[in-house]
This record gives sequence, structure tokens and C-alpha cells, in this order.
Amino acid sequence: MMSINEQEISEKPQNNDSEVVLSVNGVSKRFCRDLKKSLFYGVQDIASEVLGLREKGDKLRPKEFWALDNVSFQLRRGEALGLVGKNGSGKSTLLRVIAGLIKPDTGFVEVNGRIAPLIALGAGFNPILTGRENIYANMSILGLSKKEIDERFDEVVEFAEIGDAIDSPVQTYSSGMAARLGFASAIHTDPEILLVDEVLAVGDANFKAKCFRKLQKLRENKTSFILVNHNPQAILSACDSAVYLSKGKLIINDKTLAVIQKYEEDLFQSSITQKSIVSMFLPQKLESETFGINITSLFFRNKEGNMIDSLVTGECINFCVGCKAYKRFEKINLHLTITELGGEAGIVLFLSGANDQHFFEMLPGEHEIQVQMPYLSLKSGTYSMTIKLKRELYTFETIENFIFSVKSDSTMSNCMFYQPRKWQIISST
Amino acid sequence: MRQKSQRNSTQDKVSKQTQGAAKRPIRVVHRPESSMRHPLQLFKNMGRDLLASRELAWRLMVRDISAQYRQSFLGFLWAVIPAVVLAATFTFAKNGGVVNIGNTDIPYPAYVMFSMTLWQTFVESLLGPIQAVAAAKAMVAKISFPREALVIAKLGEVFFNFGVKLILIIGLFIWFQIPVTWNLILAPVALIHLIILGTSIGMFLAPASALYQDFSKGITLATSFWLFLTPVVYPVPTDGVFGSIVKLNPVTPLLVTTRELATTGVISNPQGFWIASLIGILGLLIAWVIYRLSMPYIVERISS
Repeated sequence: MMSINEQEISEKPQNNDSEVVLSVNGVSKRFCRDLKKSLFYGVQDIASEVLGLREKGDKLRPKEFWALDNVSFQLRRGEALGLVGKNGSGKSTLLRVIAGLIKPDTGFVEVNGRIAPLIALGAGFNPILTGRENIYANMSILGLSKKEIDERFDEVVEFAEIGDAIDSPVQTYSSGMAARLGFASAIHTDPEILLVDEVLAVGDANFKAKCFRKLQKLRENKTSFILVNHNPQAILSACDSAVYLSKGKLIINDKTLAVIQKYEEDLFQSSITQKSIVSMFLPQKLESETFGINITSLFFRNKEGNMIDSLVTGECINFCVGCKAYKRFEKINLHLTITELGGEAGIVLFLSGANDQHFFEMLPGEHEIQVQMPYLSLKSGTYSMTIKLKRELYTFETIENFIFSVKSDSTMSNCMFYQPRKWQIISST
Repeated sequence: MRQKSQRNSTQDKVSKQTQGAAKRPIRVVHRPESSMRHPLQLFKNMGRDLLASRELAWRLMVRDISAQYRQSFLGFLWAVIPAVVLAATFTFAKNGGVVNIGNTDIPYPAYVMFSMTLWQTFVESLLGPIQAVAAAKAMVAKISFPREALVIAKLGEVFFNFGVKLILIIGLFIWFQIPVTWNLILAPVALIHLIILGTSIGMFLAPASALYQDFSKGITLATSFWLFLTPVVYPVPTDGVFGSIVKLNPVTPLLVTTRELATTGVISNPQGFWIASLIGILGLLIAWVIYRLSMPYIVERISS
């Protein structure tokens, strides 16, 4: 698929300019996280808008920051653009400016054609009304006339897989059904530009695949779209170029592969800087600041009981949690949640003393809880661990984002995890 | 950092580029500067959006009205219940001598019910834009559609509700055998002016009340106070400080004229009527501009 896309691009350049459906030119947007200030600035902006004083806002007022900072790119007809970036990097703000919902503070956005924002799945659905009534209401909000809706109606119902439920109130629908109906009505408005904001996270795998097929079909019909997704894989397979935003700044705008590589590198980079933390010693707290027990240190020991600063797959290690108790407690247990950074798997390990029926008693004083792992089964990578010290439902302390990395040798290159094993031969002679 | 001088030049270039491909019907440029700087363009867009919002407004109105009555047992009766209850209360109080109210042109219960219906219509048209924006917050924050549609849909609802109330009024006129004149035909004109005044105030307050909750609280309080400064439960007072306050109230001439046209056919204060109408119409235009211009900023502040 990639090769076909590249061909398309290389064929285009002659009439490139006329094919631009969306151009974002040096767009900046300032935001304020302080609610009172934010509302006040809103009033200020409205006043200067109504009085015609406002030209542009290129200065930050107190407590403001740039949610978008001088972003420029173009989208051509039939092109799919991926938008990547961490949470809060300005992706949604950018889509909002493009959709014309909010005004840019500097720069300008030029749009040729109708935009259907899929940030708005099912916006305007009234739960009391039937699916049929809601389709009519929702699609006219998206800009269609009654005649146009009539023409598309059956297609929408079929795509959403609603069936006979179309004449029941939407509040009786499952969340998946409502989301499907929202997606179906938004996508059948035949827009020139589609803004898809993580909405494909809803629905089951089958419906997701169906959505992607529909997007592909729309693209063949020369619809352009911007796809926002946390999953780089989805962007890689659906888009030919991408934009990477970080803290409102456009870092790179290039072919998808190059952008995703840069994005993942940065994700990894930020974890590498913290990599050296294989142990963590927390500052002393006063008794009044704790809930009876507090965690003082986190580190690893090897088989011999010595502290280590690097972890290797397959070795025997002890994860140690140093804590200080101020009173006597019973039934103390530890929960460990391990996530791989930059990976897609999410949680890779969840270990809980409660699940394993391992509870400890603690007398006032210092203690070290050890989790012995005869074989470290994690493959090489950087992990983030959340540690919870609990008694039944009560949590004494939670430490989030304890980062450590694991190395492994070449024998692990094709493995997802370490399998302890013994090789032997049993022969009967 | 931001290239100011370059902006205009690139803008022209891009515009020329896209003119070449002028097949596409919709071309929009979102700029940071105030729309007031290009008033002609602004008025053109306002007219365009007004036309474009007809069908959507109809849909929204149908949606709201059917949803409103579907989850209700008494349904349409709610349009007339407040007027009947108020009339019953005041007739009772007047007959019992608790309140001292002068004589009215038409039987007192009919007077209160009819006036209350008009007042309610005014309040509905005032609250309409405010409620519409509040209810559509999620939609407004996510989809760009002509914002005028929200207000027009609410106006439709006001007229629809008045239609329901009309049944009560016709019943009243027959029951109390109130004579009417040919001037009755003109009553809807005065009623529309009353609704225009309400809508202009509502549209003016809608952006502010979307930002600050103080407004919606204050408006509820203000309208209930305002009711007693309007000749709804009493005839138009002629003298005293109270009389002049009631006269300065712009709702008074509009409401009274509507009532007079429908009943006696003699307009007591034509000058006041035209002044109040003018305030309403000019106010509506100004409020519309403010409403329209402030919407992007409202979206910016209410959503995240």
C-alpha cells in the first residue's frame, strides 16, 4: 500500500497548488488553565472583537501559554494526514481551529470545501428521540438538507447496523450502537475534508475495521482527511504524511514513517533520560504527613543480596520496597503494575500480594518487603511501575512512574518474554 | 517570532491559487482579526447564515418540541397552566380584598390570563437564546453550524407554544363574551414586536450567561421582578412614581398595545409602542452581531 501512495504523490506535483484543500499558515493559539482568568480573557476578547479592535493576539497575557505555536502545513485533495503528539500537545486545538470553531490568535487557515468533524460523534443526539429522528437532526447540524438526508438514510442505518432499533429512543441503545450511529451519520455527509479525532477508539474490532475500510473508500473518492490517533500503527497504515506536534510546536511534517520514527524516538528519549533510576530513595516524611506507613526506597537486589543498577532478562532478582511504619499493622500487601513505555501492550505485569494471599504484619520501625523473581521474564525495554502499599481497600501510599529498564542478550531477539527452560535429552538404549 | 509582514503577502498568493480551482463551492478563511473590520463581509455572512439555518432550525425545533412533550404526562397543558394558576390566585386575592386592584376593560380573570399569556411569551422569547446556547454547548463546541439556527429554532418554539396558548385565549374570549374589533388582525404585529424585544435581550445576554452562571441566576430573578413592573395583574397605572416606572418599562407599551388591539381596538399609547418597537428591532440587530461574534470565544472558554 505504501508504494502505491508514494506513486500517487510523485505524480501529483504538477497541479499541486490547485489541489490544496486546507492550508494552515503560521497558526498560533493561546490558552489559559486558570478558569477565572480564562473567563475574564474571554470577555476581554469578545469586547475587542465586537468593538473591532482585535487584529491578532501575539502576546501572552499572565498565566497563558501557547497551545499552538506557529503551525503551518497543507493538505491536498485525497490526501490523508496523520496528527501525532502526546496528550496536551495541541492536536485537538488544531482541529478546532481548522473546523472554524475557534479563531486563531495569529496566522490564518484557508479551507476549500465542507469539513465534517468526527470530533463530534453523536453531538446533538437527544436520548429521548428515536434513532431515526436523531439521524435527521444530527445530519442537518452537519449541514445536509432534508432531501440529502432522505437519500442517504438507508445507507446510514445499514452502515450503523442498527436494524429495527432505528425507531426506538436512543437512550435505549447500547453505547456501541449510539457511537456507530454517530459515526455513520457523520461519515455519510460526503465532506471534502474529514477530521477524525480518536473516534475510532469506540466500537468493536469488526466495526473499527469497517470504519477504516470506509475511510479508504472515501479517500479513493478524493476525500482528504486528518487522522488523530495515539496508535502510531493506525496512522502508518492509513496516512501518507504526518505532522508531529509537541507542546504546540510543529516538530516535523514529512512522510508518515519518518514522522512516526521521530515521535517514537522522542517518547523513548524522554524515558532514557530517566533510565538511570533503577533505585529511588524518597525524602523522609513526618509522621503526620503519612497514613501510618510510608515508602522510603525502591531498588533491586541480586541473588547475593547486593543492590544492582542494571537489570538483565532471565536473572534472579529481588524487587525491594523499603518502608517505615509508625504503628502496628496487619494484612499489609503490595501491588505492582508494570507498563512498557512506548509500547502498545499497556500493562504487561500486575502482581498483587492480595491475589497471591501474601500478607505481612508490620511493627513500628523500618522494613523491607522483597518480591523475589527467580527469573526476570521482561524483555529488553523501558518500563514504568506503579507501586501501591495497601491493607484491604485502604492504600497507604502510591508511587507512580518508577522507571527502570531491562537489558537482554541476543537470545531474546525474537521473544516477547523470557521463558526459563532446561534442555535435555532422554534416550532409551 | 510570528511573521507579521509576511502574512498578508502569503494570504494573497494562496487566494490566487485557490481561485484557479474555483469549482469548489465553499471557501472559508479563518483569520484572527475582528470581523467588525470588514462590516460588509460580516453582514453578507450574517444574511447567508440566516438563510442557511432555516432547515436546521426547523429540525432543531421539531426535535426540541417532540422531546419536550414526549417525556411529559400533561404535555401541551403546560403551556397554559401558569396563566390559569396566576389568574386564579389573583382573582381570588382581589375578590377577597387582599390586594387592591383597579378596574379593567375586560373581566378580571380574562384580563390576567390574557396578559399573563403575553408576558409568558415575552419571557420565553427572552430565555430562548440563553437556554438554547446552554443546551447546545456540547454541539456548539464541536460542530460549526450557523449559530443563528439555535435562536430561530427557539423562536419557532415560542410561536408554537403561543399557538397552544391561543386555544386558551379563544376559549376565554368566548366564555367571557369579550367583544373584538377589526383591529384584532393587527394584534399579531404587536405580538411580534414584543417577541423581537424579548429575543434581542436574550441574544444580548446569551454569550455572557454561557460564560458566567451569575447571569442565568440573575435573569430568573430579574424576570420575576419585571413581571410586577408590567401591567399584567393590574391595569396601566396613571400616576405616581410607580406609574412612571411602569411607563418607562419597554415591555409595557408592547404588551398593552397587543392586548388593546385584541380587545377594545383603541391604542392608548401609539408613540410608546413605536419607540419600544424601534428599541426592540435595533437591539435585535446589535444583539445578533454580538451573539455571532462572541460565539468562537465562548467555545474557546467553555470546552476542553
